Amino acid sequence: MIDSILLVDDEDLFHLVFEDACSLLDITLSLQSLTSSDEAERLFKKWFREGPAEERPECVFVDLNIIGSSFDGIELIRKINFEYGNHVVIGIISSSNESEEQAKAINAGAQFWIIKSDDIEPRLIEFRKDYDGYKNRTAPFKIYK
Amino acid sequence: MIKLDKKTKDQLIDLYKTKKVALEGNILKLIDPDGDVELESYLKETTEKDKDTRRKRLEVTRKVQSQNNDLIKWKEENEKIQLELKESLEQTENSMKEMEFLKEEAEKARLEAERLKEEADNARLEAENARLEAENAKKVAENDLELMQKKTQFELIGTIVKVALWVILGVGGVTTGMYLIALSTGLDTTVIGSTWSNIIGILLTNAFSIVGTIMGVKYASEKKD
Repeated sequence: MIDSILLVDDEDLFHLVFEDACSLLDITLSLQSLTSSDEAERLFKKWFREGPAEERPECVFVDLNIIGSSFDGIELIRKINFEYGNHVVIGIISSSNESEEQAKAINAGAQFWIIKSDDIEPRLIEFRKDYDGYKNRTAPFKIYK
Repeated sequence: MIKLDKKTKDQLIDLYKTKKVALEGNILKLIDPDGDVELESYLKETTEKDKDTRRKRLEVTRKVQSQNNDLIKWKEENEKIQLELKESLEQTENSMKEMEFLKEEAEKARLEAERLKEEADNARLEAENARLEAENAKKVAENDLELMQKKTQFELIGTIVKVALWVILGVGGVTTGMYLIALSTGLDTTVIGSTWSNIIGILLTNAFSIVGTIMGVKYASEKKD
């Protein structure tokens, strides 16, 4: 089970879907959801400078296009990886499947790409199986379709 | 994991049995039954109930999400149609403006054609007038020519008459002179006398003939004019 997860997605309804799916699949006990990449950056900045390490999430799921934010999910991943410490498992969860964007995400340090759809559970089950590899930094970048 | 004391366990189980109020969410996964069969059963039942609730909520959320997506698609399609309608309206307006412009141009062309027709009619009338004037000028010229010809003819006739009269007068005078000389000198006048009378007769006849011809010609010319 993943210790704690942070979801950054502008769609509130998906927060509920993701929370219920994680609970039903026993993926995590601690899930925090945010709707803005600016808010996520602010939290990571705080955790990086002064916050206790245990407050930081173990895994971060970031939407590609976060409406209402100053920057997109790939930029957020880059900031978390290169500006605020590279200690979390991080990747994209998006309905997009564009290879160009995926290449950008890899460059920013994303470890996985989950295609968002109505039936998210099978992808989360598969992701959970690969999770230890991501945590140990041994698993390659993978797209969950 | 959390371990509960007996009093708390009993309260939780009693609350569930009497009021059907139970713990919910991930906290259930963190409680250790610690071998208590009743608590284990409570946790199993409430966890199952919590999962059912989450499943139902997940289904409802999915449906709402799907409807939301459909609404977004419809909105996009609607916006697209609105845009197309707007473009069509603009095109229609442009076409109408173009039609108005073409109508104005056609009206201008019609007026111009009418103006040109009027000019052509005026030109035709002017040409007709010019033709009539030319015909009149031709007639005047012909009349002038005829007058000149008549004048020339009269002059010629006048000259002929003058010459003929002079010839008559000359011949008459010479014959008369010769006859008078013969009479005065006592010469034989038989031949000259008959000659003089013949000549005078011929000359008078011719003179009257000439005068008659001239009068006839003059009369005919005046009648013709």
